[in-house]
Amino acid sequence: MSGQPGKLPGGAPTRGAIRIEDVVKIYDPGGASVMAVDHCNLDIAAGEICMIVGPSGCGKTTLLNAIAGFHEITSGRITLDGEVLCSTERPKSTPGSDRVVVFQNGALFPWKTNLDNVAFGPIMQGKLSKAEAREKALSMMADAGLNGVEHNFPGEVSSGVRRRIEIVRALMNDPKVLLLDEPYRALDSLTKSVMHEALLEIYYKNKVTIFFITHDLEEAIFLGHKVAIMTSRPCKPKKILTVDIPHPRDYGVLTSKRFRELIEETNEAVHEEAVKAFQSGEKEG
Amino acid sequence: MPTQDKQPVSPDILLGILKATMPFQVVSDAMLRRIAAISWKVSYRAGDTLYEAGGPADDLYIVVSGKIDHELAPGVNARRPMKTLGEGDVFGWAALLEKVPNRLAKAVCTEDALVIRINGEELLKTFESDPDAGDVVMSRFATMITRDYTVPDLIAQLRGIHRKLHARDAQGMNVTLYRVSRWLKSPRPYLMLLGLSIFFGCWYLAVEVFKLPRFREMPGITTVVTEWLNPNPVFGLSLYTEEYYKHIAVSVWRVTQAFLLATALGVPLGLFLGWSKGVKDYLFPIFEMLRPIPILAWVPIAIVMFVATESAVIFLTFLASFFATALNTMLGVESIDESYTRAANCLGASKSQVFFHVIVPGALPFVFTGLQISVGVSWFSLVAAEMVSGQYGLGYVINTSYTMVRYPTIIIGMITLGAVGYVTSAMVRVAGDYMMQWRVRELALGAR
Repeated sequence: MSGQPGKLPGGAPTRGAIRIEDVVKIYDPGGASVMAVDHCNLDIAAGEICMIVGPSGCGKTTLLNAIAGFHEITSGRITLDGEVLCSTERPKSTPGSDRVVVFQNGALFPWKTNLDNVAFGPIMQGKLSKAEAREKALSMMADAGLNGVEHNFPGEVSSGVRRRIEIVRALMNDPKVLLLDEPYRALDSLTKSVMHEALLEIYYKNKVTIFFITHDLEEAIFLGHKVAIMTSRPCKPKKILTVDIPHPRDYGVLTSKRFRELIEETNEAVHEEAVKAFQSGEKEG
Repeated sequence: MPTQDKQPVSPDILLGILKATMPFQVVSDAMLRRIAAISWKVSYRAGDTLYEAGGPADDLYIVVSGKIDHELAPGVNARRPMKTLGEGDVFGWAALLEKVPNRLAKAVCTEDALVIRINGEELLKTFESDPDAGDVVMSRFATMITRDYTVPDLIAQLRGIHRKLHARDAQGMNVTLYRVSRWLKSPRPYLMLLGLSIFFGCWYLAVEVFKLPRFREMPGITTVVTEWLNPNPVFGLSLYTEEYYKHIAVSVWRVTQAFLLATALGVPLGLFLGWSKGVKDYLFPIFEMLRPIPILAWVPIAIVMFVATESAVIFLTFLASFFATALNTMLGVESIDESYTRAANCLGASKSQVFFHVIVPGALPFVFTGLQISVGVSWFSLVAAEMVSGQYGLGYVINTSYTMVRYPTIIIGMITLGAVGYVTSAMVRVAGDYMMQWRVRELALGAR
């Protein structure tokens, strides 16, 4: 497995291993129950980029919400570095800064400047004073190439820039895991390609575990060490693909032979699920 | 400051030099030629001091050759105050800052140097002649100052070269003035004037020219205006009487008290109603039951509850505003996207931190909508209250003028009421703009 995170510069990451064991999520267990996640098992190594691919509405986000602590699970267990986040006994984990979410539609606070958004986490947790947090935020934004927008409000910058700021805001907390819920869904394909490289650049510096939900197979194979193709509702991994294209990657990968082969290998599985999802008439979302 | 041979620069050479600098890279040749006309080249020897912190910030400098040490004064709060400048670097940018008449740094030549000097004021004038290009240059200066000189605090002071409104400058009063100027340029004010004159024209024609049946008893516009502007008014009330202002002052004071009280109680109540399911379950049914009861129905209770008429009037005025404010605030909280509270939770915010950093600011746009409704509502409940009880006040004027058959005074009271009410709600809007810079800037961008 040459896509192993251990091969990255700066030694192997040691934290952020997620283990999803037999997780079931049933919505509305009283009345007309809908099974969103069906006995799902998935292992994500520390510092790995794991891409979750599946048609819209298949239950990917349910899984993310369970890890983040927004929703309860019905049964099963999710652990982070051996610690139980949630289980059948304690179905809802507590949201915390070790697992920061980057939301589908973006959740930078529009009433705070970009700088204050980035500085938000450490100030709230009381880890840094306001001045220290701003200082750190400035240098992290500078590292991510976000100069010149610090004192603007999120509504004044482009959506691509907003996404990058949101990722930097998450990284300010030194999280074990970044949970990205289709973060680039609303971006045009050109901006998307820039964002992919920017994300990888950030990843190479921070080597944080990334749990990345998408419905774009190319995006998944380009970014991920591991790609989990999910079945349409109820959701569980149909196929887990290890991407053996070595990191660091750049856009040249997209035209490489191996990349094309991997796409071909997985395309059918994805298409099959998409057709199933379409036929069952699941709503977008 | 040693200045040796200040000489003009040939435009062609300057073009090349400026194009190699960060702020001027993107400028058109035509503008660069105009800049060339106000540029001078000056040479310095190693050891010369170009300027000291505190000296007058007159010129902008560009290094053509040589080395210059640039040290920002401690008060500037640069992250890295020391910087060695070489070919293509631009310094002396304090000359372009708005509130900074003096140098912020010391610049010493460490290796014989040739520099270009451009007078800051003249350069800004050149930019103003082509605001679009000027704006680009200024924003590149902002980036340069933040990135290369590590003093982000100063960029807000870079003078705006804005023909259109640009977000960086969209602050409080500026926005209001900008809106006024745009409004004056649009056809809207003229249509408004036309509308008003048609309205007053119809009034004039209906009452004074055609004497239409329904309008026979109504005072005509000329009667009202003459009475209003009469130093010795027939019915005792005009712009020249002290009474007139006393009535206005009393009404304004009552509305102010009621409005402030309604805001102080309604906003927190609305926030809690929206935030806590429990609070809502307890209070919302009562709230919804009381809300539709018209103000006039409260009058008897108010009189029984409050012995003093003044407090009864304020209570009645307060009621309607309170409901409007609380309801809109609650809707505001409910309108906040769940992602924001989730994001705050992820980032480690406690429950009270979520309340103050997400719920309160997130609800603010709705709160201000509510306050605008509230101030309007407070005026019409005030008039209802003043008609029932009270001495003085515009509602009282209208009511007593009716019983005493002073018809022109009724109209004077009504028009005054409308005008004062309009002013108060405009004040609420301005206060809202001031408190929600982020929203103003977003809207300003949307309008571009």
